[in-house]
Amino acid sequence: MTKKKSSILSDQRFIVLLVIIVLMAVFSIMSKEFRQYSTILSMLDFSYYDLLMAIGVTFPLITGGVDLSIGTGMVCYALIAGTMVRSHGWPVTAAMLLCIVLGLAVGALNGVLIGVMNLPPFLATLCTCMITRGAGSLCSATPWPALTQEGGWFHSIFKITVGTGRSADRYPIGFLWMILLVILMEFVLFHTKFGRYTIAIGSNKEAAALSGINVKFYHVMVYVVCGLFTGLAAIAYAAVTPTVQPGTGAGLEMDAIGGVFVGGVAASGGYGSVLGTFVGIFVIMLLKTGLPYIGLQANWQQIITGVVLIVAVLIDILKEKKKAI
Amino acid sequence: MKVKKLIALGLCAAMVSSMTVSPVLASEDAAAEETTEDAAAEETTEDAAAEEETTEDAAAEEETTEDAAAEEETTEDAADAEDPTAQFDGLTANEAYEFPMIVKSFQSTYWDAAQEGMKMAAEELGVTYTPQGPNSESDIADQVNMVNTAISANPVGLGLAACDTSSVLDALQECADKGIPVVTFDTGIADAPEGSVVCEVATDNVQAGSVAAEHMYEAIKDVIANAEGQVIIGEVNQDATALNIQQRGGGFIDKMIELIQADGKTVAVTGNEFYVNAAQGADATEADADVVIQVAVPAQTTVELCSTEAQAILSQENCIAIFGSNQTAAEGVLAANANLNVLGSDPANGDVVGVGFDAGSIIKAAVQDGTFIGAVTQSPLMMGYYAIYALTAAANGQELQDVPTDGYWYDATNMEDEDIAPNLYD
Repeated sequence: MTKKKSSILSDQRFIVLLVIIVLMAVFSIMSKEFRQYSTILSMLDFSYYDLLMAIGVTFPLITGGVDLSIGTGMVCYALIAGTMVRSHGWPVTAAMLLCIVLGLAVGALNGVLIGVMNLPPFLATLCTCMITRGAGSLCSATPWPALTQEGGWFHSIFKITVGTGRSADRYPIGFLWMILLVILMEFVLFHTKFGRYTIAIGSNKEAAALSGINVKFYHVMVYVVCGLFTGLAAIAYAAVTPTVQPGTGAGLEMDAIGGVFVGGVAASGGYGSVLGTFVGIFVIMLLKTGLPYIGLQANWQQIITGVVLIVAVLIDILKEKKKAI
Repeated sequence: MKVKKLIALGLCAAMVSSMTVSPVLASEDAAAEETTEDAAAEETTEDAAAEEETTEDAAAEEETTEDAAAEEETTEDAADAEDPTAQFDGLTANEAYEFPMIVKSFQSTYWDAAQEGMKMAAEELGVTYTPQGPNSESDIADQVNMVNTAISANPVGLGLAACDTSSVLDALQECADKGIPVVTFDTGIADAPEGSVVCEVATDNVQAGSVAAEHMYEAIKDVIANAEGQVIIGEVNQDATALNIQQRGGGFIDKMIELIQADGKTVAVTGNEFYVNAAQGADATEADADVVIQVAVPAQTTVELCSTEAQAILSQENCIAIFGSNQTAAEGVLAANANLNVLGSDPANGDVVGVGFDAGSIIKAAVQDGTFIGAVTQSPLMMGYYAIYALTAAANGQELQDVPTDGYWYDATNMEDEDIAPNLYD
């Protein structure tokens, strides 16, 4: 409840920021290849969809729930929309809208199952995870239009390419949109009714209901927002993945959820911030991108990420204990 | 509370149907297409016949042009000179057999092409087949379940492309006990229990990997000869568990070592333990080798993780070439190149030479515009086709010998050739 007298050092987000700087430094010292602009570019490329999913799933996590369907959902929407472009001649704009609509629809389904019908979030979203995974597999591997093809302009949403071939300059403009989105959602979380009710539901659902909040409605909306961001993530995913492969996507949600926890969302719900998610995701991305550069086998990436997560959650629990005393 | 139970039941039903619906739909699609594509199918059969001829030609040419390197193999080649597909001449099905065909996934268009071949063969022979496969090639347990379910129905034969060769051994033992003939396609199973696998229809992956190495070496040998200091050749393999990827990756490495050493340079292999241990003939340590072959394997078989691995290899200044050993790995290499932009077809001017494997529209486009100097394609169509033939022959009670299919090199110049084009699925 009280986080008034917290100094900057006890803020997990600040600690995570330090971790990012340390990781950057370590990787840069150990590998000169890592210190290249193109490394940052591709790290950013592959961070957008993770980050978008993570921003979305921050809200269910703050309510003490979870959304396991974001990874497979994202791939499923990208597949269906890509198939529409490839096989049915849809314009890319319509396909992007379809991603968002599908995201909202599955989000609403999750929300109704959890908020209205009181299914445990883990179970409900596990089911939609399987459904979206199966639905995605109905399509065959689908490449969205490449940058140079008709409709390829949507790549420029995330990365502007000036010129062609070797001499082309690339600007990761998507990073700017991410910062704007993070600021927007941080504002939504702390300064709107929706955001404060989200936190209230996570702290104590009964109390929230007793104080007159329409808990059902806001609980559903939490998952709808998560679905919206999953839809956006699908567009970002299509922009960086050459061919979207059916049957993939399971496991991607864990990167996003992991990032959110590193960013300091309380494991039991009731507290968290989008800004924390933002820095948390970059810890995950740095580990993912950086470890191959220093010659570590890929399996180590998962082991190390797991250890980092344990530490992050432990810090959170220790902090809570301190407060209690 | 009743409502809850109902919902839970409904959800379970939805789950089950979502899992079973995809193979069913796939086979329905196939049935629907059958009627419209008769003419096309006939054409492709002709093509297939033509292709067989050209394959032999190509094989013959290779034998004559290749020198000392081929010497060891010539004895084997001589023994295999008889075309193994001749065993299917005049084959007809004794009954309208039905075969479960278990593929690795429906993940890539590769498997669509394989099904195309199965459909052709099934039509010619008047048999039917049921294609099944897990959601992704990493879903080993799901596939084992499918195999077990298929066996429990006592089919007259079983077609299998195993995701993980060791995890299906128990199931194969059961097939041997029950007398169900198994035809493995795409991926062979080296240590299969005796009497289970009657025929193997698979790309000679060692050969396919070495074809990639030969063509890559052709492009970079001057660079290696003139290099000051160490140069790096990268290889991205999507895993170290499937036999075909193991053989392909290993075939590439071994051939590359052989070619480099023939020109008097020293080689070291680094990276993934499996491939490092499997490599034969590396004669130097990483520190003092003229050429280092770096082998990367991502933690999961996804394009983005392959891309990260490829990026780490490609961003080294002395990297001169890279090989992606299947569709996922090759697309990972291309994704990495999207930011690095180092691949090209002019190695003398510092371009890094890229070689892919398999087809798909992304890789085809890269070969066409010179990002990849070329790629090796397998013949999924012919593998699916011969798998059905082998199963029918086995169900008739015929004794069979294995049917190896070749890996074909393709580049911008021969992509349209009629013996190559049918294998370049989208």
